[in-house]
Amino acid sequence: MMESEKQAEFRIALRNCKNLPTLPGIVEKLTRMAEDPDTTTEQMGRVISKDHILAAKLLKLVNSAFYGFPQRISSLSSAIILLGFNVVKSLIISASIFEMMEEQDIELWEHSLGCAVACNVIAKRIGIDEPEEVSTAGLIHDIGKVAIKMELPKEFAQINGLVAEKGISMRQAEKEILGHDHAEAGGWLTKGWNLPQKLVEPIACHHDPRTAKHEQMSSSIIHFSDILIRGMGYCHAADKKVPKLRKRAWQLLNLSPADIDYIVDEVEEKLWDVKGFSLEVNPITENAMGSEEN
Amino acid sequence: MQQILSAQAQDGMILAKDVEIEGGRILCGKGTTLTTSLIERLIRMEIYNITVEGHPVSVAGEKTLKEELQDMEDRFSRVKDVPPLMYLKKRLMQKLIASRSE
Repeated sequence: MMESEKQAEFRIALRNCKNLPTLPGIVEKLTRMAEDPDTTTEQMGRVISKDHILAAKLLKLVNSAFYGFPQRISSLSSAIILLGFNVVKSLIISASIFEMMEEQDIELWEHSLGCAVACNVIAKRIGIDEPEEVSTAGLIHDIGKVAIKMELPKEFAQINGLVAEKGISMRQAEKEILGHDHAEAGGWLTKGWNLPQKLVEPIACHHDPRTAKHEQMSSSIIHFSDILIRGMGYCHAADKKVPKLRKRAWQLLNLSPADIDYIVDEVEEKLWDVKGFSLEVNPITENAMGSEEN
Repeated sequence: MQQILSAQAQDGMILAKDVEIEGGRILCGKGTTLTTSLIERLIRMEIYNITVEGHPVSVAGEKTLKEELQDMEDRFSRVKDVPPLMYLKKRLMQKLIASRSE
């Protein structure tokens, strides 16, 4: 009885999301445009370019090592073509949350960046179709943690207390206090933003890819990237331990020792490039960059 | 390898990564041995960070190799019975040790 009350409260708090940035109006407009077959990517690029800061942030993200394109992407329309509308939409929605994360929780921010890099390297090594979507899901896989911290600060403090006191994982503590963990919370949030299943499921199932109905491979990539990047030391002070590797995920990934060697080398190399990556933009210098499509 | 400020660079250090200038052009490549005049040039060109071989600059508050290895043991302490993760740990430790040796 108590348990379900807690769970319901948690869901309601997330649905109302008083403290999280709201969905930018631009997303609605772009979604309508994306549904219209006559819309060109240039037109969509122009809509985004009207918000110079957002445009500059997006270009910074798409040119980062999380996506690893060999050439520089200088226009938003090419970004939409290369990354797909879903990825660009997720980045627009997440940009404001990243900013908050960067400001308030640098460890979580670095963990997220690192996870995105690892997802990209692994997805490419395995040879899956849309590595950019996996990187993006990796980038926002812990968005539920931000939501818990912002919407339920009291419970968040209790969770941290429990982790410190009992030496359990953050996820176990979340389940005890809230009845759900941050992965489930991230799933509800992203679903509420109408992000596609390809992004929602891997976020919701990153602790246990078996529970994914459609996206087991992407979920497994994020699951292992999360482990890898924690192993490399990109983790929360309160929750340092590398979590268990799920058997099913490992079977699905089917990585050989040579694959692991390659992945570790690549991820380490790319992490040098994202070290100190920040979404802070200088409106004066970045202005020209974001508005070149006018 | 270590990322350092160009101002911390010294004669004889070896670049572990290419130094790129705008447009992705390479100013000097990986493997280049730094000289005083090259370092001055980098600073004049406003290139503030470079990556060099080994771990030549000690940073205040930075953990020792021993502490880093101990941290890694702690991080992997819950998964001692998972062979692929023990392999991963071994690789990460080897790389950590290699990165700290001159």
